[in-house]
Amino acid sequence: MFPQMMQSGLYDFFFVLIFFIISIALSLVMVTFNALIGPHFMGEKKTDTYESGMAPIKTAWMQFGASYYLFALIFLAFDVDVLYLFPVLLIYQKGAGFSELTALLLFLFLISLALVYAWRKGVFIWR
Amino acid sequence: MNITQLPFIKEIYGFLGHDLVAAVIGILIILVFVPLNSAFLVWVERKVAGHIQLRPGPMEVGPHGILQTLIDAVKLMSKEMITPKLADKFLFWLAPIVIIIPAIVCFVVIPFSPLMQVREMNVGILLIFSFSSLTVLSILMAGWASNNKYALIGAVRAVAQNVAYEIPLLLSTMSIIIMTNSFKMSEITAAQSPVWFIVYQPVAAIIFFISTTAETNRAPFDLVEAESELVSGFHTEYTGMRFALFFLAEYTNMFIAASMGAVLFFGGWHGPFFPGLIWFVVKVYALIFVIIWVRWTFPRLRFDQLMNFAWKVMIPVALLNLMITAIVLKAL
Repeated sequence: MFPQMMQSGLYDFFFVLIFFIISIALSLVMVTFNALIGPHFMGEKKTDTYESGMAPIKTAWMQFGASYYLFALIFLAFDVDVLYLFPVLLIYQKGAGFSELTALLLFLFLISLALVYAWRKGVFIWR
Repeated sequence: MNITQLPFIKEIYGFLGHDLVAAVIGILIILVFVPLNSAFLVWVERKVAGHIQLRPGPMEVGPHGILQTLIDAVKLMSKEMITPKLADKFLFWLAPIVIIIPAIVCFVVIPFSPLMQVREMNVGILLIFSFSSLTVLSILMAGWASNNKYALIGAVRAVAQNVAYEIPLLLSTMSIIIMTNSFKMSEITAAQSPVWFIVYQPVAAIIFFISTTAETNRAPFDLVEAESELVSGFHTEYTGMRFALFFLAEYTNMFIAASMGAVLFFGGWHGPFFPGLIWFVVKVYALIFVIIWVRWTFPRLRFDQLMNFAWKVMIPVALLNLMITAIVLKAL
């Protein structure tokens, strides 16, 4: 199992895994330590939600108008498109001809059209 | 029975042996470095803020108040961790733990000097991008689980803002990657041995700097924790060590962003006379100083200005910059 992993480059992710586990352990240790040495007093109002000194009105889990959801939609389209560029970047200078350039420019032009479309549609006007 | 004699463990150890030592040393250094770095940066931030506002800043604990943050950390550790009764208990507990993950994991690929890098990976810079997106997930978790209106609004803003500024960040990095044809930090650094990339790519450098400032939720883009309107944003309900963990992550993210800037645009550890480590640290802290300076100089943006600036200015300019870079590379 490990010889194949070493060759495939997956082996590098062992280090990521080790750091991942250590980071969780670090925060768990800090929080647990705090829980052990910190005081524990219960008051009537202590665990109320903070709302500038008032008694909280309903909960925060309600519907509210976020003008951001259109931005989120363009982001999805944009970000997924941009991800396709990453492999191109690695081989861009290896080819001798201009075919990479043409392809890249065409792709970027098409992405830009999405931005122009959203702009003309008035997505960026704040309501 | 000795556990190292088990066949499976033996097989792992056979391959890891040498590298495991490197990993353990790296972990130990980073576990010491991350909290000290954050403590130091908080002190620097307060000092710079003080001097910009013509007051001395913290002066009491230690020479020029340098031990102030350590005392603050001890104080936070002896405070009670409160969980609001209306909160989503599990997510409220989980959020500060998740936010530490990117802050530690990103150090795997950061090249402090030619030798001081935990692991050179072929995905290098992509690893930092992918893990740092966990930060916004944690902010959303914290804001939503708190069941507090300020926290929720802060979290929603954080998502919108991080989403918007991630695209110019990626595009400006791409104009560097297209020149080096590699995601490896060492190859990006090596490609800058005569001339730093900021000379070739000044526009990308500016876009990168602005986007990282927004991605790390620093002023003038700190609408996530805008004190004057949202108390303190997504971590309003957090106390004690959990609160400290959010700050630990924030200042470590600043360090990671600045070191990415140093690697991409300022030649990483390249420099004359001194060893690579010194150059790298000097460049990173210089960039962090600029980020702090910006915070205490510019007023906060309005939210629609923030979003429109990303979509109407940053992304078109970054796209154009990438196109021009591509054309120039093929024309030369």
